[in-house]
Amino acid sequence: MIGAALDRRLHFVVGKGGVGKTTVAAALARLLTRRGRRTLAVEVDDERRLSALLGASGTTGTPTPVAPGLAVVAIEGRAALEEYLGLIIPVKRLLSTIFSSRIYQYFVAAAPGLKELMTVGKIWYETTREEGGRPAWDAVVVDAPATGHSLQYLRMPQAARDTFGPGLVQREAAKVVDLLRDARTTAVHLVTLAEEMPVAETLETYAQLKDPLAMPVGSVIVNRVHHRRFSAAALAALRDAIKRAGAEQRALLRAVCERAAEESGWSDINAAHLARLRTAIRDVPIVELPFLFVEEFDRAEVERLSRELEAAGTDRAAVSALGP
Amino acid sequence: MTLADLVARHQIVISAGSGGVGKTTVAASLALWGALEGRRAVVLTIDPARRLATSLGLESLGSGERTIPAEHFRTQGLTPRGTLAAMMLDQKGAWDALVERHAPPEARERILTNRFYQHLSQSFAGSHEYMAIEQLCALAESGRYDLIVVDTPPTRHALDFLEAPRRIADFLDRKIIKWFVRPYFSAGWSALRAMNRTAGFLLRRLEQATGIAALAEISDFFSSMSGLFENFQTRIDRAHEILRAPGTALVLVSSPEEQVLGDAEYLSSKMSALRMPLKGVVLNRVHAEFRPGRRGRDEIGPEELEHVSELLGQTIGAAEAGELAANFVDYQALARGESLRIEQFRGGLPRGVPVVNVPNFSRDVHDLASLAGMHAYLFASRAAG
Repeated sequence: MIGAALDRRLHFVVGKGGVGKTTVAAALARLLTRRGRRTLAVEVDDERRLSALLGASGTTGTPTPVAPGLAVVAIEGRAALEEYLGLIIPVKRLLSTIFSSRIYQYFVAAAPGLKELMTVGKIWYETTREEGGRPAWDAVVVDAPATGHSLQYLRMPQAARDTFGPGLVQREAAKVVDLLRDARTTAVHLVTLAEEMPVAETLETYAQLKDPLAMPVGSVIVNRVHHRRFSAAALAALRDAIKRAGAEQRALLRAVCERAAEESGWSDINAAHLARLRTAIRDVPIVELPFLFVEEFDRAEVERLSRELEAAGTDRAAVSALGP
Repeated sequence: MTLADLVARHQIVISAGSGGVGKTTVAASLALWGALEGRRAVVLTIDPARRLATSLGLESLGSGERTIPAEHFRTQGLTPRGTLAAMMLDQKGAWDALVERHAPPEARERILTNRFYQHLSQSFAGSHEYMAIEQLCALAESGRYDLIVVDTPPTRHALDFLEAPRRIADFLDRKIIKWFVRPYFSAGWSALRAMNRTAGFLLRRLEQATGIAALAEISDFFSSMSGLFENFQTRIDRAHEILRAPGTALVLVSSPEEQVLGDAEYLSSKMSALRMPLKGVVLNRVHAEFRPGRRGRDEIGPEELEHVSELLGQTIGAAEAGELAANFVDYQALARGESLRIEQFRGGLPRGVPVVNVPNFSRDVHDLASLAGMHAYLFASRAAG
């Protein structure tokens, strides 16, 4: 089922801070690249972690290849606006006078969501851009900003279309809205943890995407899920063994027991919140990614998660083929 | 110095850090400790989990403080010698309250419906942070509390919080505001030509091309607000002062994850430049590494684990015993990575800054008793370096 959403061209990865959204965006980009799609990974504002996880040494406003079939680009609202205005007013020297003036600074700060609009506009441009008669990219993966509500960005084109007077911005905003709402092109992936706060926010985001925004949700990706691999009886037997053990082994056994209790506790918390998610969201695949026990999280782990994402997608499709 | 000394010696404690590190819980736990120790404590919180909000008596959003009733403590087995109040920051409401307090009555409606104002109060970078500081000032000036713990808004970099007064001050720069409230300005773009022919022309083109009539709205906003800014500047100066007062301590909350610790490192290095020394660090959700310590080695070797498997295998079978041992090895790897990163992080901190580790509890911390349970970790450690 996530397989179907993967075929779309534009992927927004959203989620609150601390859930591993950027990691999932990187894993998704790797997965798409592996499937032979020419993929563009987009980082927004001055975040530079996505490109680092994909092995780039730095990013600019121009797509830069980092691996065969994979490029990264950094989109910043203010720069995108300047680029856009450069198209409207092609007088370079005068433009730079404008950009450095205080009135312009106010214009940018004051026009509701102009920077966000320009960011999404630039993403739209890259998604629809053609090279030699075919789309420049088969897939565009956007690591949406985590600060506050990532929906602020997705909401902007609609707000712009509805509130700005007739003009270029309104016309372009309408085009962007059409693209964002098109379920054949776009998928929003909600990254979350199976814990109280992230699930609450995910459900809220999901509802907003459905109703006022009317944007297609591709999947819900639950990151860092713990699955206890031992039984409750084993844990109980371990507790008993501590009592019988000699002083020499007791400390170690106690440590083994504490870690087992911790894993057990997280598995229960995760299971409960996953159940909450599955009850509330029934029309999109909910994909689980395992918690990775590693000393350091690096590109190898991104690769591992991208394989998990692929496998989870297939399993899920098999399960849903069997019916409810 | 310990974190206990730190909280004991300061009137204001600001809990700062990236989103998702448990800042809110730490802030609530620090305030509770103050109350148990006999202080009149209040925690100003931003977006608590529902059950934490409930246990703090914050069922619904409101701008007032709620004092937690004594029987609430008693049912959780706690006997505070002081008091604990909680308050939830309502960002939009706080801006509106500010306008209502300071703007002339006839201008209020125009300000509240002005699109520029709405944008400013909701999404101008630093405005949420600024409102938190504004609330902090009001609590500090009320004289009702001798310990105020502030949970900061979830920002990518906690620096945004500390820089908020300066940003707002820059934004509300009196020189430029005066320029905006000149009556001819709101008349339209043509007025600009008198000031700067080229810029005026180009901006007019820009407005036509985009369909955004922003400048007229800004001008209208500042005209409605005129007279308010003298007052505003005083408040911004006051906020600046409170953040840097000797009685204010900034405590950084971080998790031991690489990215989060990286942000924390960056913050701590920038703090001195802002003349706001970092005074304490809470590392939350830390996995403890098991070190046997005896026999002159502190790594767990494969033979020890084999021994564990053997020991358990007699009662629960080899497969399950193996899984338990493997789980232990997994957590050790996690803990080892964390402790290496934490050690490096501590090395970069100013001398004498207390650093405490709070374990990764595998349960939700949502009632007063479990907040009090964090005290054993928060207030039991030594200073760094």
